[in-house]
Amino acid sequence: MGFKAWLVALAMEKPKSVFLMIIALVVLAGLQIPSIKVDTDPENMLPHDQVDRVFHDNVKKRFSLYDSIIVGVVNTESEQGVYNPQTLQDLHQLSTAVQSMPGVIRQDLMSLDTVDNISQSVDQPGTIRFEWMMKSAPTTQLQADQIKASVENLPLLQNTLVSGDGKAAGVYIPIESKSESYRLSQEIQIVIDQLQAKHPDSGNEFYMAGLPVAEDTFGVEMFIQMAISAPLAGLMIFILMWVFFRSMLLITAPMLVALAAVIITMGLLIGQGYTVHIMSSMIPIFLMPIAVVDSVHILSEFSDRYKPGDKPKAALREVIGHLFTPMFYTSITSAVGFASLAFTPIPPVQIFGLHVAFGILLAFVLTVTLVPAYIVSLSPKRLAALKDHSISEQVHEDEASLLSRLLSITGRFSIAKSKALVVMFVGVTLVSIYGLTTIQINDNPVRWFKEDHRLRIADKVMNEHFSGTYDAFLVLERTGLDQQKAAFLAYLRKQVNARENAEGVVAKLDKILGSLDSEEYSALLQKLTFELDDAAYEDSAHEESWLALLDTVEKAQSESKYFLTPEALAYLDDLQLFLNDSELIGKSNSLVTLLKTVYRELQGGDSSQYKLPESSNAAAQTILSFQSSHRPDDLWHMVTPDYNSTALWLQLKSGDNQEMSRVIQLVDDYVALHPLPENVEMNWAGLTYINVVWQEQMVTGMLSSLTSAFFMVLVMMFVLFRSIKLGLLAMLPLTVTILFIYGLIGFVGKDYDMPIAVLSALTLGLSVDFAIHFLERCRATYQQTGSWPETVDEMYKGPARAISRNAVVVAIGFTPLLFAPLVPYITVGFFLAMIMAVSAVVTVVLLPAVINGIKNKDKLFSVSENDLLKKQTGER
Amino acid sequence: MFKLISTTSLFVVAVLSVFNNVYAADLTDANEIVSKANLVSYYAGNDGRSEARMLITDAQGREQKRQFTILRRDREEGGEQDFLVVFSRPSDVRNTVFLVAKKPGGDDDRWLYLPGLDLVKRISAGDKRTSFVGSHYFYEDVSGRSIREDSHQLLETTDKYYVIENKPLDTNSAEFSRYIAWINKTSFLPEKIEYMDENDTVYRRVEVLSSALIQGHETVTKSKVSDLRSGGSTTLEFRFQNYDLGMDQAVFSERSLRKPPREWLQRGQ
Repeated sequence: MGFKAWLVALAMEKPKSVFLMIIALVVLAGLQIPSIKVDTDPENMLPHDQVDRVFHDNVKKRFSLYDSIIVGVVNTESEQGVYNPQTLQDLHQLSTAVQSMPGVIRQDLMSLDTVDNISQSVDQPGTIRFEWMMKSAPTTQLQADQIKASVENLPLLQNTLVSGDGKAAGVYIPIESKSESYRLSQEIQIVIDQLQAKHPDSGNEFYMAGLPVAEDTFGVEMFIQMAISAPLAGLMIFILMWVFFRSMLLITAPMLVALAAVIITMGLLIGQGYTVHIMSSMIPIFLMPIAVVDSVHILSEFSDRYKPGDKPKAALREVIGHLFTPMFYTSITSAVGFASLAFTPIPPVQIFGLHVAFGILLAFVLTVTLVPAYIVSLSPKRLAALKDHSISEQVHEDEASLLSRLLSITGRFSIAKSKALVVMFVGVTLVSIYGLTTIQINDNPVRWFKEDHRLRIADKVMNEHFSGTYDAFLVLERTGLDQQKAAFLAYLRKQVNARENAEGVVAKLDKILGSLDSEEYSALLQKLTFELDDAAYEDSAHEESWLALLDTVEKAQSESKYFLTPEALAYLDDLQLFLNDSELIGKSNSLVTLLKTVYRELQGGDSSQYKLPESSNAAAQTILSFQSSHRPDDLWHMVTPDYNSTALWLQLKSGDNQEMSRVIQLVDDYVALHPLPENVEMNWAGLTYINVVWQEQMVTGMLSSLTSAFFMVLVMMFVLFRSIKLGLLAMLPLTVTILFIYGLIGFVGKDYDMPIAVLSALTLGLSVDFAIHFLERCRATYQQTGSWPETVDEMYKGPARAISRNAVVVAIGFTPLLFAPLVPYITVGFFLAMIMAVSAVVTVVLLPAVINGIKNKDKLFSVSENDLLKKQTGER
Repeated sequence: MFKLISTTSLFVVAVLSVFNNVYAADLTDANEIVSKANLVSYYAGNDGRSEARMLITDAQGREQKRQFTILRRDREEGGEQDFLVVFSRPSDVRNTVFLVAKKPGGDDDRWLYLPGLDLVKRISAGDKRTSFVGSHYFYEDVSGRSIREDSHQLLETTDKYYVIENKPLDTNSAEFSRYIAWINKTSFLPEKIEYMDENDTVYRRVEVLSSALIQGHETVTKSKVSDLRSGGSTTLEFRFQNYDLGMDQAVFSERSLRKPPREWLQRGQ
């Protein structure tokens, strides 16, 4: 291995250059870190050009929909609920204050004081009345009661602006950008606090909900968490190593390796312009424990071999000669485990995986350069001091320690009861597989907060009262408009040519049509009516011809407004009635709701008139009446101005992906039974839906990551051990571990969410390390001793302890995550510790038991390759 | 009696205003300026007819069109008026009719006829600052905001304009905190009006894009409202304008809702 020798020689001969180069890299990378951009938008889990995301963005634009913060006022103390003067006054003040906050789309803000009331006039019977619902806040209970009566009469508002039980009212605050929602939520909180301070006895409680706030708040807290958890993890590892080695000198090198690896990796990520997503924020925490492990190996072995007075270089060369290959392989396998995340079609997960993989390989390079350079640079006096704290002494001390005794017992036990153990593991694995099948795939960004977090509480309270704070949009649209356009243009030309004095008109018409050629059908018709109108005005000689053409175009235009036709509206109506009957859906609002409400009021307000207009013209005129209100543009959240696309707004009580998936299934089943009208297409949009999409992508993506990583590692094991059997044996502990962990997740009922999914691939990379070390040592020892019982005995002294120790280092290194206020961190911390513990136990207990059952051990440990292997197995 | 005089008097006003501009000193009384502007904008002639073409454009550039004919008759110069608005396009709202009896300082009487529902409906509105048929114009922009609802102050007199600040007397009656009008010193047409919100940010603008002298009256032929918050705008073109056609009060009766007065709706008077 020429490269290896060169690298190590470089480190030992020119330690200063190595230090300088590493320092330069660290400084260069460190300079990138201040330009960090945090990104917690789950939408970014999908690539920008992902089809559902493109559609979602398109729908937002098409229907002028914005991400919203929802502020709820709940009053359970007053008998009238929120319909009491004080609460409504507070609500009014809150809404007014929010409206002038920058970043709020104020014309679309929905609150009792910004919406219209459509009702029958009390003073003038038979008169329809349009007015602000609550222009100024009521001062008497009577006025509050009137507002209550009005809201309850309007299906678009009831259960959306005020809960059905009358105990909660909402302010829907559309915002320009999701990334503003944390700042805005802070500003809104100030207003709320002022209101609460002014009227402490009002009985009002205020809550903020909606996915954007949850997501943006998560980002802010994540940023803080990063600044706490990563250094804390470093500290934990430091303390732990102190406990093990009790030597500052010894600990300094691994800590430097870890620090340099983390800074360079993060600097690289940030420097490339990537945003730091939830997963990437955990990179330091992942890297640190992994980075220290290798240098601990080198230092331990070096202090074993080095005798004071010797030249350190010779001992060092020998140590690295021993350790290079196993370290290289464990690094490569870990890196492969992480890098396999690149097969998941989720950009933040890909970036995370690839950078951790880079970090691991970097840590390896740093270990074999920085550590030798560090040792060579130490003065003989310090080297002697290092000897004083050598691991070998520790080992002897430990001889009688609890861990040693435990391991020794374990060793004897696993050989004595090897058959029973194997049977037991098979049993556990089978049960795990069953558990695996019960896994619930689910996620919900709001659940990324702990249950006592104010956002979780708000989410719970708001969804108890309201129809739901989670949005999904069912978009129906007319297709085949290009064919319609072509057919219409052909028809129009025929019309012109059929007229008597066509020649006077044809040239100009062609010019007009030519200029409008690239327009879509509805825009073409719209613009054509204008052009023809102008032509009739300017070219009075052919006025009649132009007006006749105009009539033709107008007729086509009326006919093209598909979602005004009784057929389309009836389908929409039936679908909505069906959805409203389902318990999965809190409430739905649509063009149908609006039409029926306005129609009812036009017809005198009797509930029997709550129905759809009978013709397209009647529908258009009903809409025209609605448009004479204060908020005519609300219409365009439900239908496009060309009436070729309409959106059903579904309010869901839960942001769980499972719930959304059930809703999708429900609609799919309905459409299967009641096919969509011809040339109509239906698609989903909305944040709740987008979350489902990326989750599905992640589940399938993770499966391919895991499979590819599994086979890559397997191949590497074949290469490393040059033995099929040993290669397969090396895969055994991690297979059992992965199945066990995921089986456990299934049994415990923990949802398979983003962090859990990501764990699968890294489990693989991390837990194979133990098997590599164990089997390498096992083979070397067997080749030396030629006796299985002796090998086992030896194995439970050195290697088993090393494995246990490493497991403890890594597991403990992740524990700061357990104290994070954010659930994904806790999940990752807990399961990584679990994985470490389980795979260490499985390696130490199961592997000997299985090997014990293999008859021909000489063949297994390929004695013929004795010499070669002796050199390679430097594991302490 | 008043009507008889007003025809000539308006002509005199128009001439006088030109005269004023050249020879006389600028006006200094804001109320007087506003009062004149009100008359020029909404009370030209005893009656009038105009064909309007409205193009509503949203922030994304999507367009909608409305075409309607407006008939107007003044009951009293600067006071009560009747309007009849008959829609002709798009065809799905053809023959939809609005009838308005405007009562400055009070609630207008409004009726609506929807042919598709064959329904005559009386409308009552809490205020006059609702959208006019889904456009960015308010009902009040079309029929005129009563000058008695605001206090007026002359901010500045430029070469061309009287710049008047208007503040609502009842702050609850309007969504603006004030608006500034640039009134042409010669024609007394308010050529630009900007509305400010509580942060004193301009959020809405009404502009005259072109005007013409018709039968001695300086008349807006094209105007535009911009909603600066949403980014949408509406342009309104007036064509085939005529004044003093001698319309009868019966034109503005409830009968006209179902049976629009053809003789006044046809062009070429």
